[in-house]
This record gives sequence, structure tokens and C-alpha cells, in this order.
Amino acid sequence: MGQSIKDKVAVIGVGCTKFGDRFDQSYEDLAVEAAFAAFGDAGIGPERVEAAWLGTYSPYGGNGKASVALADSLRLYGKPITRVENFCATGTDAFRNACMAVASGVYDVALVLGVEKLKDRPTRGIAREGVHPYQGDGVTAPGMFAMSANRYFHRFGGGRETLAKVAVKNHSNGALNPRAHLQINVTEEQVLKAPIISYPFGLYDCCPTTDGAAAAVICRADMARDFRDDYVLVKGLGMAVTSGRPWFDACYEGVGFASTRAAAAEAYRMAGIENPVKEVKLAEVHDCFTWTEISNYEDLGFCEKGQGIHFIGEGRSALSGDLPVNPSGGLKSFGHPIGASGVRMIYEVVTQLREQAGPRQVKNADIGLAHNLGGPGAVACVVVLGQQ
Amino acid sequence: MTGITAYSTYIPRHRLPREVIASAWASRATPGAKAVANFDEDSLTMAQAAVWKLLPAAPDAIYFGSTSAPHWQRSSASLIAAFCNLPAETATADFAGSLRAGTTALRAALDYVTAGSSARAIVVGSDSRDGAPESAEEMIFGDAAAAIEVGNRNVIAELLAHVSRSDDFLDEWRRDADRYVTSLASKFSTTRGYEANAIAAGQALLKRASIAPENITRAALASLDGRSHLNVAKALGIPADRVEDSRLKEIGVTGAAMPLLLLAEALDRAQPGDVILCIGYGDGADGFLFRVTEEIAKLPRPLLAPGSVLPHSSYPIYRKLREFLREDTTGPELSNVLWERQESQNVRLHGTFCPLCGTLQFPIAPICQNCHNRDGLVEKPLQRRGQLFTFNKDYLYDSPAPPTVNAVVDLEGGGRLLCQMTDVDESKVEIGMSVELVLRRMRGAASMHHYYWKCRPIG
Repeated sequence: MGQSIKDKVAVIGVGCTKFGDRFDQSYEDLAVEAAFAAFGDAGIGPERVEAAWLGTYSPYGGNGKASVALADSLRLYGKPITRVENFCATGTDAFRNACMAVASGVYDVALVLGVEKLKDRPTRGIAREGVHPYQGDGVTAPGMFAMSANRYFHRFGGGRETLAKVAVKNHSNGALNPRAHLQINVTEEQVLKAPIISYPFGLYDCCPTTDGAAAAVICRADMARDFRDDYVLVKGLGMAVTSGRPWFDACYEGVGFASTRAAAAEAYRMAGIENPVKEVKLAEVHDCFTWTEISNYEDLGFCEKGQGIHFIGEGRSALSGDLPVNPSGGLKSFGHPIGASGVRMIYEVVTQLREQAGPRQVKNADIGLAHNLGGPGAVACVVVLGQQ
Repeated sequence: MTGITAYSTYIPRHRLPREVIASAWASRATPGAKAVANFDEDSLTMAQAAVWKLLPAAPDAIYFGSTSAPHWQRSSASLIAAFCNLPAETATADFAGSLRAGTTALRAALDYVTAGSSARAIVVGSDSRDGAPESAEEMIFGDAAAAIEVGNRNVIAELLAHVSRSDDFLDEWRRDADRYVTSLASKFSTTRGYEANAIAAGQALLKRASIAPENITRAALASLDGRSHLNVAKALGIPADRVEDSRLKEIGVTGAAMPLLLLAEALDRAQPGDVILCIGYGDGADGFLFRVTEEIAKLPRPLLAPGSVLPHSSYPIYRKLREFLREDTTGPELSNVLWERQESQNVRLHGTFCPLCGTLQFPIAPICQNCHNRDGLVEKPLQRRGQLFTFNKDYLYDSPAPPTVNAVVDLEGGGRLLCQMTDVDESKVEIGMSVELVLRRMRGAASMHHYYWKCRPIG
């Protein structure tokens, strides 16, 4: 067993663009907007950054393919920059890699930048890239999770009405967030009557397609006070990869994600968390589709497998519940500009821990969690952040 | 003894009621409905389905006859052999260019068996032809495949005689670049073309076999219109009640498949001692006489039980599906390196079997999915039936017939795979339902057709 990252790395600055249809801004515009917001928040200039990690899943139009996308956007030349791509967990994995480098003592200050410009593309949703020409042809992003949802209902009960509660909750939170793509309240009836995208998911069960960027500046914990007093500490990091072909494995139960369970166990071990539902005060989790959030409650250990329907049903994950989940509004309200999402979650958790979240502020927020889930649930990354 | 040893047919599940065509064009409907290929079917996939029903008995030859083969240059018979996981030693040939393609292939196979160069050959006739929108051909053409196995052991219908005649009569054709069949259907065409040739072939057969017309108990006569074959029977002296129904009302005029389809249906009802006449027409005629043997009693007949059907209610949707395969170029261009390396997996549907833990798995992998063993893994064919583990109904995937149903299937004998479901009423999809794997056309690339596996409900 290796060491823990606990209290070795501090987040000293965060920035986040407005998420949405940013038709008038380029990839570079968004990168600059998020990065300089984070620099400003940390009270530094770009020259202070010693190394950077860029999270972009799907380069388009020459942007995001490699490290140069960050270098040219920020004019940050002559420094080590790494592009990270790990399905929908790209953003948190970029953060994780940066934390490892700072914790090693090789760099004092590092930048994590997640950018994705999905709305520059001519197509709806996200094309399947780099996949086998036949195996899985026909499967879309919602379709992948819809297969799990149908299996889950078959085994544990629940249905579209259960899913609608997640959409209503997350939109309600997002309506309080000026950076969210969709700042609207929806009713269960609206959710249930929306057109089907991939049964059992209707339109409001799916996160929108969005542009956005988010950034974080991190440094060695022992020097964080040089930048600000209310810095936030990295308490735990977990990451796990399972099969990218889960539906070809006869042992796969199809009702949740072992990747999340393993990533959470690792992060909790590092953070010293034994009872997550009590100790974690807020969680930003990967609600790409409403059912995914229900599975996340279970896989993150907030409740037993099969009990997620009650966790949402009893209002425990609401802003007023005992463990608010996605107080930001989640992917449901923010959309999912893939590389940006994980960093955007970290922005929210940091904002909550600093008690700067305004009307969506969670009370007594001393420990917060961010969770990304990528591919067919194959890549999970969990970040636990805490007050000093 | 040379003769028929087995038979099968494949009728697509989709039906186009002729009233739907007639209402689209404000015209009169021919009675009944026609069988139409789904958007992911063509003459090759239908033929493969018919041949597959005759396996696992191992044929030494596959002969494919069609006027609507998906390739001008690339052997459908060779593709069918591969998709049926037959060995490279299988002799294959494509017969084309005439509505007689099916019967000419049958004649060749019978002669090969008689000559001793083949012991068991499967002949498959298959067609999915298009008549122009609003044409009489659109009203009557149907899609189907039929397979006849011939051999010299366990013969269920002994060949008594066959004849063939050639006649370049101008009644129906399709040039190399034509999409639709051009027809000069008329009384002249029917009498001088179809009837004259079929009658001449029939008379020659009866003479060659020294059989009187009253001894013919079943006549399987291909027909261009579903009617005039009765004139042929009358001219030959065969009572109308011994003539196989042309299936115009339920299936349609099915091109090169039609004489073999009617022959298969005759065999499905035949008794030992029956004498079956089969005639195929097109640029001349092919005729066959068979005598049914006692061996037929060993078959669990009827073998050709009608399956479930999916009727179209919209002509525009039918037309859209009909155009889809010809126009879609959104699929991947594959290298022949990838195609060849994965041939046993994607084409022959082999998985990996682990001798240590006994897990059969798909796709082929160098380490066992279950126990992570690397030693002694072997390729093994998957079974092509299973149960639905889970599914979705997806409207986002770009399909001509949304929703696309994606299915996770637990195969009998082991292995799980994810594939699309086809030929299904989406309201009837449920976890646990029984499905079979079927070969289908996938999205096409600009320069190649793609074929892969989907599943569909059994029955």
C-alpha cells in the first residue's frame, strides 16, 4: 500500500466559465477565461505556473489535440504540459495527475485546465471515436447507460418516475447557479412527458451538449498560505479502470460501476473516511444521465446497492438533505463539456468549502467530493477535498 | 441416387400490404401483401439465413443464384460460406444474370453430384428486386430466399430428369447501371415468353422421363405474375389442384428464389411417391422432375412454419428503408488487414474458450476475461441463440427506423455480446426473451458493404 496524498497538495485558485452555447467564443477564449480566473483567484500570474495539465476529450478544429492547445491559448511556453484524455473522467484525471506531480515535490505550483468546445461541431451529441467498427455499433452515450438503467429496474424496481426526481432536484439546484448552462426549474410531469432519447431516458434525463472550461491552480500544501488563508486541501484521490467492453462479460451485473467503488475506496482510505454518508458533506457526482446519479449514490457508498431509489426518493441528496449531491446543478444543469466537467466539479467543491456558494451553499461543508465516470462506466476518478 | 436431401426457406418478417402501395399512388391494389426485406437485409443476408437453417450438416459446396447480388465482383457464395463458418475447402460459385439463376445453380449442383465431384451441395436462390415506384413490378415483387441441398445419400426426392432451354426473349431486364427492373409485361410477353418456354420445358421433361402428366402430383412453377403458371399447367395436362400456390398474395414474385421456394414448399407437403415438377423461367427455362422417397418421412415436417410478421403501414417509411442501404455511406472504410485478422471473430463468430475455467467469451482475447489465464486459450464458434440480458431503445443513433434497439445477449453455451436488435416490435422487447443472431448489412461505407451480426426475437 502506497502513501496517502492527504494534506500534501492545496488548491489555491479556481476558475470557471459560464457553461452553455458559447457560439461567439473559441476554444482558446474559454481556456483563457477559465485559466485567468483561476490565476486571479490564486493571486498569481501565469509565469508562476511551473507545469500544466490539459484535459480535453475530443479535439475539434485543431484545438485540444495535445499540449500545444494549452500553450498557445495561454502563451505559456517553455514549460512541461501534458494533455490528458480518459473518457468522461478526463477533467478529474488531469487534476489527479497534477496533484501527483506536486505531491512528489518536483513542482511547487501547477495548473489544471479542462476545456471542451462541443458546440463547434456539426453533429448532435458526441460521436463515438476510436471504437470497433462493428462491436457496439448502434450504441450512443445515453444508450450505454440506458441499458444499465433497464437492467437496474428489472432487478431493483423503480422506473422513469424515479429518474425524474433526479432531474427535478438537479435542475432546481442549477436554477440557483449563474454559471449553469440550463438555469431552469422543471416538474416531474415535464420530465416524464419529454421525448424519449434512449429508453428509459427522456430529454430531461440527459445532460445537454455544452461548451465550457474550468481551471484550478494547485501548490504544495506547506506553501499554500503564501497565496491565501482559505486554501483547500486535497484529502484523497482515487482512480480505477474496469473493462471498456462491460457488455461482453457474462459476469457483469450491469447495475453499477466497480470502477467507482474502487476509486472511492482508494480516495476514502487516503482521506481517512470510514462512513462517507456521514463524513462527506457534499458531493459533485457524474450525473451524465439521471440513472447514473442513482447508481453513484450506491457506488460511492452513500447507501447500499439497490437503495439509491430511496436515497433520491427520501430527499437525502437534495440541497436540504443530509448529503446534498450536485448542489451546483450537476451535469444535468451544466452540461458536459467533457474535459471541463471534472475541473468544474472541483471548482464547485472548493467554492462550497470556502462557503462562497451563495443561495446553494451547503451547511457545515468541511469535506466535499468530486466524482467523474467515463466510457461505459469503465473509468472512475474520485477527488476528496477538505477544509484545513 | 442423386437428388434433394434437405430444403429451407427464408422469408423476411416485414410485409408491405399492397393497399399501402395503392393508397400512396391512388391506384388499385393487387390482393394481399408482399414480403419485403428489412432495411438491413439484402439477397446475401437472406441467403445466408436460408443456408444456416440447413447446418450444421457440412456441405462441400455453396451455390448462390440471384439477380440482385450486392456485389458485381465479390462472391456472395464465398461470403455465405464464411458467415456460416464453413471451411476454405468449400466450393463456391455465384449464378446470376437471369431469373433462372437459382434453377441453373440447382441444375449445376445436381450434375456435380451425379458426376461425383460433389457429395453434398447447397443451392440457394435469393432475390430482393426493385420495381420502379408506382410500377406494376413494385406491386408484385417480393423478397425471399430458398435453399435446396442436393446429394447422393439420404435423398428425399430423387432426380428423374432435368432440362434447360435458352431463349433471348425480351420481356424483363435490368442493365448494369439500372436500379429498377424494366418490364414489357403484356399478353404477348406472357404467352410468347413465359408460357411458351415453360410449356416447352415441361413437355421435354415429361418426354425425357417418360412420365404422363397425370402422374405429376405437385407442380412448383415459377411465375412472373402469379397467374399464368396455371396456363402452363393446363397446357401440360396437369390439373390446377396439383399446382403449388404461387404465394403471390403472401410473399410476391421473388425472382431467382421463386422456383426453389415453391419447390421447398412442395417438398414440405409431399408424400413418398409424389412426382414433383419444378420449372424456373427467365431467358429460357429450366425444368426438373423429382420423385419423393420414403426418406422424407424421417424429416420433422412441416419445416416451413410461418413466422411472425411485421406489417408496414406507411409507404414513405417503406420507401425510405428501401433506399437506405443504397445511399448510406456513413460507415467505416476498413483495411483488409483488420478485416482479415478479425475474420474468424467478426465473420465466423468465433470467441475465445478458456480450458482452465471453461468460459467462452467474445471478442477474441489473449487473456481469459474470467480467470485471467493465458495458457491454452482456443478459438471456438459461438452458438447463435440466447437470451436478452438487457436493452435500450435509442432515438439518438442515426437509423432509418428509430428506435435502434441495442441488446445484450447471453448466448447458449456461453459468451455475452452487445449488438443491435432487428425485426422487432419495440414494444415487445423484454429482458429474458429468446433471440437468435442474424447476419445483417450494417451502415455502408463509400466503397464497401459491411455485414455483421444483430439479434432478433425467435419465432
